[in-house]
Amino acid sequence: MSRTASGFRAWILQRISAAWLGLFVLATLGYFLLSPPATFEQWRAFVAHPVVGTLILVTVAVVLLHAWVGIRDVLIDYVPPLALRLTLLSLFGLGFVACGLWALQVILLASGLA
Amino acid sequence: MKFQVYRFNPETDAKPYLQEFDVIVERGMMLRDALMEIKRQDESFAFRHSCGEGVCGSDGVNVNGSNRLACITPLSEYQGDLVIRPFPGRPVIRDLVVDMTQFYAHYKEVNPWLMRKDALPEQEILQSPEERDRLDGLYECILCGCCSTSCPSFWWNPSKFRGPQALLTAWRFLADSRDQATDQRLDDLEGPYKLYRCHTIMNCVQACPKGLNPTKAIGHIRSLMLKNSI
Ligand code: SF4
Ligand code: SF4
Repeated sequence: MSRTASGFRAWILQRISAAWLGLFVLATLGYFLLSPPATFEQWRAFVAHPVVGTLILVTVAVVLLHAWVGIRDVLIDYVPPLALRLTLLSLFGLGFVACGLWALQVILLASGLA
Repeated sequence: MKFQVYRFNPETDAKPYLQEFDVIVERGMMLRDALMEIKRQDESFAFRHSCGEGVCGSDGVNVNGSNRLACITPLSEYQGDLVIRPFPGRPVIRDLVVDMTQFYAHYKEVNPWLMRKDALPEQEILQSPEERDRLDGLYECILCGCCSTSCPSFWWNPSKFRGPQALLTAWRFLADSRDQATDQRLDDLEGPYKLYRCHTIMNCVQACPKGLNPTKAIGHIRSLMLKNSI
């Protein structure tokens, strides 16, 4: 993040992503209450639908963004030694990127694109 | 009433300790009166105070874990022993006297005066009653430090986070119709530390002896940043 992105923009990203996640949780809960997929095949078909798959991937990205801002806040507050903070930030960053790629792989496999 | 009082003289003591004092409490007595009585019992005891009526902001102390202004804290609010300590997180000079230099430095950093781009007029700059009302709840701050020294974000990053007092003051000038440095003031608060270490913990609101609300002021600054960025 650039210097100007680090204060205000991080904060506003946190709010917007929180709103998105709240809506997504409500929408999925509503859908599963009305018509829960019963079998593995139904699950796969549900996830393979292009709109659902895209929404899931967007939401995974939003979760990771939200988590990144949050963990960065925690580390800035509680880990003052710069070297340790940077190490932890990099580890979390790598972990988050790995999670994102893994989610992408899952969706692509389910959609038969990979 | 029994008082457990924090004592530390860096010249003679290796470690701080609590010393017990017994004070006969009379009706209407404030904590400051009890501290003065303790000083009568042991004149080596040090604490700051001046006006005695909640205006100068010098006698902030930590009572049973909460920051209070001693002169306007009635002892009738408490039962049982009282534990009196200096403000948390500040370097102790002696007993209840702490070094507030950093706190004042943050205050200075927010430019606590009106900044004008236009030439100053011959007469005073008039405000409408509504414009004046916007300063209520902001100008009353007495710089006692009860808020900032009770704020966990200020404990963790005291050199970088401005703290609730300085941010309340920043908003006091941003909200002033006569001030013309909105952009500069907002730019000065950018970055992850100065403003955004505030996590809306609201200890400052609970601590303020003047009933002010720094958390709300911080929220107003954030909204103004949002408004100015879209
Ligand atoms: S804290 Fe304020 S009100 Fe209390 S004695 Fe000091 S100056 Fe007076
Ligand atoms: S905002 Fe309240 S607690 Fe903080 S310095 Fe001002 S008067 Fe004291």
